[in-house]
Amino acid sequence: MKVKVNDAELELKAGTSAIDAIFAAGYDVPYFCSQEYMSPIGACRMCLAKIGAPRKDRDSGEWIIDEQTGEPKIFFFPNLMASCTTAIMEGMVIDTLSKEVKDAQNGMIEFTLVNHPLDCPTCDKGGACELQDRAYEYGAGQSRFVFDKRHQEKHHALSELITLDRERCIHCKRCVRYFEEIPGDEVLDFIERGVHSYIGTLEDGLPSNFTGNITDFCPVGALLDSTSRFRGRNWEYDHTRSSCLDCAVGCAITIDARTGRIERIKAARNTQVNNDWICDGGRFGHEYVDADERLKTPLIRRDGKLTPSTWEEAAAFINDKLADLGAKETGIILRADATLEEGVAAKALAAQLETGQLDHFPRLAASVIPQGVRATLNDVATSDAILVLGDVSEEAPIVDLRIKEALKGVTPPELMPHGVPLADLRLKERMPRQREILTVASPYRCDLMKHAGSTLTYPAGTEVELLASLLQAANGEGEISEEAAMRLGSSPEQLNDLLKRLSGAKNPVIIYGAFVLAASEASNAVQALAKAVGAKLLAIGPMANSYGLEALAVLPSHARYSVQEMLRGSAKALIVSGLDVAKDAEAAKALKELELLVVHDSFANATTELAHVVLPAKTAYEKEGTVVNLEGRYLPLKPAPVENGQSEDFCGLVKFLGETMGTRLEGRSVRSARRLLKKRLQLDLSELSEEGYLSPAKAKAASKFKLKESYELEGNLLLTPSMIRHEQLSRNAHLHAVYGDAALRLNPADAVAQDLNDGDVVAFELQGIERQAVIKRSEAVPVGLMLLPALPEQPAALLWLEPTKLIKAAVAEVLA
Amino acid sequence: MSVLDIAKGMGVTLGHLFKKPVTVRYPDEPVDIKPRFRGRHHLLRHPSGLEKCIGCSLCAAACPAYAIYVEAAENDPNDPTSPGERYAKIYEINMLRCIFCGMCEEACPTGAIVLGHEFELADFRYPDFVYGKEDMLVGTKGSKWQRREAQAKNEDVKLGFKAGPRPELEGVDY
Repeated sequence: MKVKVNDAELELKAGTSAIDAIFAAGYDVPYFCSQEYMSPIGACRMCLAKIGAPRKDRDSGEWIIDEQTGEPKIFFFPNLMASCTTAIMEGMVIDTLSKEVKDAQNGMIEFTLVNHPLDCPTCDKGGACELQDRAYEYGAGQSRFVFDKRHQEKHHALSELITLDRERCIHCKRCVRYFEEIPGDEVLDFIERGVHSYIGTLEDGLPSNFTGNITDFCPVGALLDSTSRFRGRNWEYDHTRSSCLDCAVGCAITIDARTGRIERIKAARNTQVNNDWICDGGRFGHEYVDADERLKTPLIRRDGKLTPSTWEEAAAFINDKLADLGAKETGIILRADATLEEGVAAKALAAQLETGQLDHFPRLAASVIPQGVRATLNDVATSDAILVLGDVSEEAPIVDLRIKEALKGVTPPELMPHGVPLADLRLKERMPRQREILTVASPYRCDLMKHAGSTLTYPAGTEVELLASLLQAANGEGEISEEAAMRLGSSPEQLNDLLKRLSGAKNPVIIYGAFVLAASEASNAVQALAKAVGAKLLAIGPMANSYGLEALAVLPSHARYSVQEMLRGSAKALIVSGLDVAKDAEAAKALKELELLVVHDSFANATTELAHVVLPAKTAYEKEGTVVNLEGRYLPLKPAPVENGQSEDFCGLVKFLGETMGTRLEGRSVRSARRLLKKRLQLDLSELSEEGYLSPAKAKAASKFKLKESYELEGNLLLTPSMIRHEQLSRNAHLHAVYGDAALRLNPADAVAQDLNDGDVVAFELQGIERQAVIKRSEAVPVGLMLLPALPEQPAALLWLEPTKLIKAAVAEVLA
Repeated sequence: MSVLDIAKGMGVTLGHLFKKPVTVRYPDEPVDIKPRFRGRHHLLRHPSGLEKCIGCSLCAAACPAYAIYVEAAENDPNDPTSPGERYAKIYEINMLRCIFCGMCEEACPTGAIVLGHEFELADFRYPDFVYGKEDMLVGTKGSKWQRREAQAKNEDVKLGFKAGPRPELEGVDY
């Protein structure tokens, strides 16, 4: 369609909004309510433009011609139009520069400012405020309003994480629309009418895992991040665009740091991964980085006490000890969110020490690289049949949002010259959702089930049986029996419907997480099922770089050298990075026997208590490097300027060790590791774009899946992945205030049977690890099952725990 | 050069001998300072006793020498430091960096920071040139060194100048 904006003529697709035409032409209009990825509603009336179009004669069907010019006559709308809600028409003429338009914009700014307190100097939005900028660009520069402004609550804590200033709100409705349209949790709305209306919530707090995003796009300082309240002005922050390493998605984030502290994290845009959204765990879970107890100097144990030292001394100390050991006697354990470059360094160090005892952890039984057709997150968002196995909302929260995007049936918007369209007219408020395309199967009732057309709560540990019976039916090797379906908490009709939907869809996707990855048979079965129905696969690995480290083969040379074996005495010396392995009492016993224990971590813990050398580690926000997310996309990591003393990443550790050994190891620096990776991947990671690079899928033959009679996966306690990092929760004060201590969730009936009440603190031993949890009764958990958040040292699994071993902490103290 | 010229010159000299001298016997005698002289900063208070500074950092943004560091915090509603929600928890000016241009004073939305008359800022160590809130709030007289000296001698701070009144310096007593 031909459109003329001021003097620029453009050819645009039908359905484009006038505001996008204006921006595509390189002109500007002010706007407050329009927001990328959300429905345009024309609430703020700021984007007014003079819009006209030619008209056809009703009788002849010909364009009405202006007699003076001989061109089609332009009929202007009687009033100025909000350009965000106006679709373009053939031959449309848009004027944004005339005095009429300027006066209208000026007047609207004045109206908006009538009730806006001018407390910019104390407002955290100051300097990054859309209203401030627009008032400067389009306003009159002076106020004629001499009366009292509207007075409302100044600091209303919507939750511990978000502060609402009701005086500053300009009623653009972005936050209200966001909650309904993006996460689908309707927790905010307007209350009262007209000048009295304000944003509010019915319940206390904001029961959603994606609340922080509203602070990013609030055009004024009404909604603000409480963790960074008054910590600095916007122009004082150092902005670092990086990737979040809290889960396998790798969302783009902007880290705002000031004077060596991370003050806040904001979402950045990656149109391939997270659009504009991040979860609350990723946004607010950064406070631990600035904790006072952070390790900042290398420590060497001398006379039984850890004493401050330098990297050179520590490296010499380690080298002396290692020299006495033979080949294959040193073990190296990396945390699964280590970067690719750190993986290269670890491999080089293992090669130098001639050891095959190298592993990353947590690493589940099955491979996180699906054997079959891989799905990208945009595939998920455009899918027409989705099967989810597990609790994705907790495991990889952004996958949950991308699934909800698919439910709207609107494909991700095409990029325009100015980026993502500001007003996508296909999106509407309260759109009907195609719930029927989504099937969620999980051992307990999870959040996403509210949005699913079909839900299935199978007994924990029966993933293989469920997938096997689906596969059998898909391959036409037998009907699903009533009895088998009943055992899986389903019915033959439901399972057959699911199969029909998957195989009948154009772009079906199967998403599976830790519960399936915990058993290699289940993983094989899901891959076979995907092949049978022609679905793409998205596997959610346990940590940010599980995919990358596996692809790089940071793996033991033999199964007898896995982390579990290293912690049971297969190694005589251990280098552990980022994991508190000594939480496990049995491992701690083995660690005490070691000739040398080197711990590379950011905080003191049970393992550093036993360590001979403690080396300070950089956190995910301070590293430079690359990670590979669950889709197989290489994502860049940039270091934020954080005061971390002498902390180094694993590359730094390898550099110092290599120097004392007299060699220059590969991976001694990020640059050196990238040189090696460039040869291997034909990809220069130092030139990686902000949106990352999707590695080409390598078609691998799927492992054969053979149905067996029984699978020994039984238990009554399910370790579940969670959005928040429980190991750092005690140092993340704000998140802790909202989410509380780790909860042991169980069915009220079980709780009554065990005489446990909400809020009781229980302590118990689980696989050698002392755990403490708060009892939370929940109808979402089936009878006979307990749910406990997993830890990096104790990844998702199904275990046995005698309910009688749940001892209330108060009682435990008395017993002790 | 004639004798007459010499006599003329000596005449000027003799004339000045009997005039009131321009030089001041500083530091024994105070210097006269013009009312708009820009010396050490003062942080002012409202008549209610609350600090005028709200910790907005605009002075730091305006400072061409990057001499100011501000860290704000939230007021305790029961015991506020300044009116409103925000106050300056840390307010520091590095007097070695400061060029006494007065831009901070111009940027301040509440008139909290005003450049006063004190100019005797010489000191011995670098850290002593970083003036915190306690060194600049109304009621603090003299530079860090002068106050140290006065304390050691158990005397009042003796300022080396006389100054005319200036309305912006509300509550500052020289």
